[in-house]
Amino acid sequence: MTEYGGEVFDLGYQHYDGPREGRMRARKAIWVNGMRTALGLGQGARAKILPGILFGIVILVAVIMSLIAAAPDSGEELPTHADYYRFISIVLLIFSAIIAPELLCPDRREGVIYLYLVRPLTITDYVGGRWLAFFTVSMALICTGQLILFIGFTLGADESLTYLKDNWLDVPRFLSAGLVIAIFTTTLPLVVSAFTTRKAYAAAFVIGLFFITAIIAGIVTECDQDELPSRGSPSYERALEECEPQTGEWGKWFGLVSIGEVPGHVSDIIMDDENESPVARQVRKLPTIIPILWYLTMTIGSGYILWRRYRRLTV
Amino acid sequence: MQIALSQIGMGNPHESIHRMIPLLEAKGLAKHYGTTIALESVDFQVHEGITGLLGHNGAGKSTAIKLFLGILTPTSGSAEVMGKKACESVDVRAHLGYMPEHDCLPSNPTASEFLTHMAQVSGLPPVFARTRAADILRHVGLAEERYRSLGSFSTGMKQRVKLAQALVHDPTLVLLDEATSGLDPGGREEMLDLIRRTGKEFGISILLSSHLMGDIERTCDRIIVLDGGHISEAGSVSRFTRETQNIIVEVDNNLDELMKIMIREGINATVEGPLVIVELDSEDQYDTIRDAVVEADATLRRLAPRRHGLADIFRGGQA
Repeated sequence: MTEYGGEVFDLGYQHYDGPREGRMRARKAIWVNGMRTALGLGQGARAKILPGILFGIVILVAVIMSLIAAAPDSGEELPTHADYYRFISIVLLIFSAIIAPELLCPDRREGVIYLYLVRPLTITDYVGGRWLAFFTVSMALICTGQLILFIGFTLGADESLTYLKDNWLDVPRFLSAGLVIAIFTTTLPLVVSAFTTRKAYAAAFVIGLFFITAIIAGIVTECDQDELPSRGSPSYERALEECEPQTGEWGKWFGLVSIGEVPGHVSDIIMDDENESPVARQVRKLPTIIPILWYLTMTIGSGYILWRRYRRLTV
Repeated sequence: MQIALSQIGMGNPHESIHRMIPLLEAKGLAKHYGTTIALESVDFQVHEGITGLLGHNGAGKSTAIKLFLGILTPTSGSAEVMGKKACESVDVRAHLGYMPEHDCLPSNPTASEFLTHMAQVSGLPPVFARTRAADILRHVGLAEERYRSLGSFSTGMKQRVKLAQALVHDPTLVLLDEATSGLDPGGREEMLDLIRRTGKEFGISILLSSHLMGDIERTCDRIIVLDGGHISEAGSVSRFTRETQNIIVEVDNNLDELMKIMIREGINATVEGPLVIVELDSEDQYDTIRDAVVEADATLRRLAPRRHGLADIFRGGQA
């Protein structure tokens, strides 16, 4: 019988003499860790459920819309890429409100932030890395659905190559619009998350902010129903377009109150599409530059507040 | 020859840094929080080895550490790490480790995942980070628990993980803030042993901040005592704990009999708990004590010169 023998040597502590990649590696680590956190990777099954469901919904919506577009001509107007954004906007808002706090709140509540700040990393690197991580995930969420939709539209067209030739410009358009939406839905929930260590509070505040401002904007931009012809009559749409809201001349400005719809106004401009919601109708009456400036103010302002908040963080 | 600072970080920093440059240097360092003075114009240097930063709560220990880590900006003066101003140089932190006093561990990841991530945040590539994480967890005695989530760890294990994350990138210097805080006596003993090993066997210099003199006395080579934001004492621990003219005799049995014989032989001895303290008149008394122990049929456990403890000094016993 063969006897197996061996010796175990304890080499003791060995100093590290491999490469040190400094600040760039640190930034990348924060970014990768942020994406994994947002998607629930490396965590229990419960953490993966919500991102999984939301990704499932945006893909499902894209597939359903592709099938509708591919169906024999029903005489109804076919869905567009801009419609897709409107359909999934609620999913995007819920996703950003619930997932964004995961990236910032636990680090402060559990004190891990103190370990980051003593490494070759500035506070700007940390906040920037977290922001980029959530932006990457949001952009992936948005663009996956749009790409599926575009492929679906192409394959469902009578002449796929002709469709591709005629509509290839939709790709940079929906990517640009996606960029606008992703930047907004990344920045705003993160700035809210910077003010609390409780994920639930941050999520509730963001969802509340979007819904309450949407309700307020809906009320103040609503047309006087007495002035409108009956719904479904040929003049109804035109009357709706021309009607004055109850708040008069200010109604178009009040349309900007709905925070959740701010990126939608800009994406409509990029996609050259007209949203039929009362709020969007009023905002369209403003010069095009106004919703763009409002979007930039909100996004850059939120980003600045987020950065300032962390700059003031005392360890 | 003084090594240029640009050389720090190239290759193994443990080899490249000649100690012409102190690891830490405070020059007129002051930190005020409004009207509260945390540190007032202190000057000191920390070199290779294990240095203790001793002081009561609020003496300015944690503030000094945060100034060296670059987290706080000094009100005046400078805190330099390996010759570079701490608040201006981010890259130098790649050679520093920090173990905070408070909780700082996430609950979800496993010890291995967390350490791998922290190694990467310190600048190590992923493959090397994983290897280092496994090595360090073995050195701190957590190899078996490396795939358990941190949330399920005991306080003692969490302290070890906190130390491990400070060591995972193989720093030149580790700053430990109240490293034994919250540990039971057994856990405290193990942590002090680990700190000693880190300093002596691993060759990593340590600045250990504590308000417990026992911790400092048992682990450190040098000591800096902070009191109300000022340095009240600084020097080697052995200087403070120098030998006295007393010797300690510790026996397992027949203590009363031994005392009778010693008094009969004219030895000036007193009993302190389980110990006999002998005031030494001459070197010959060692033989007399030995004979007394034999005559009392006592089992001798220890016969050694008595040293001042740090506690004696700071109680005013420094003579």
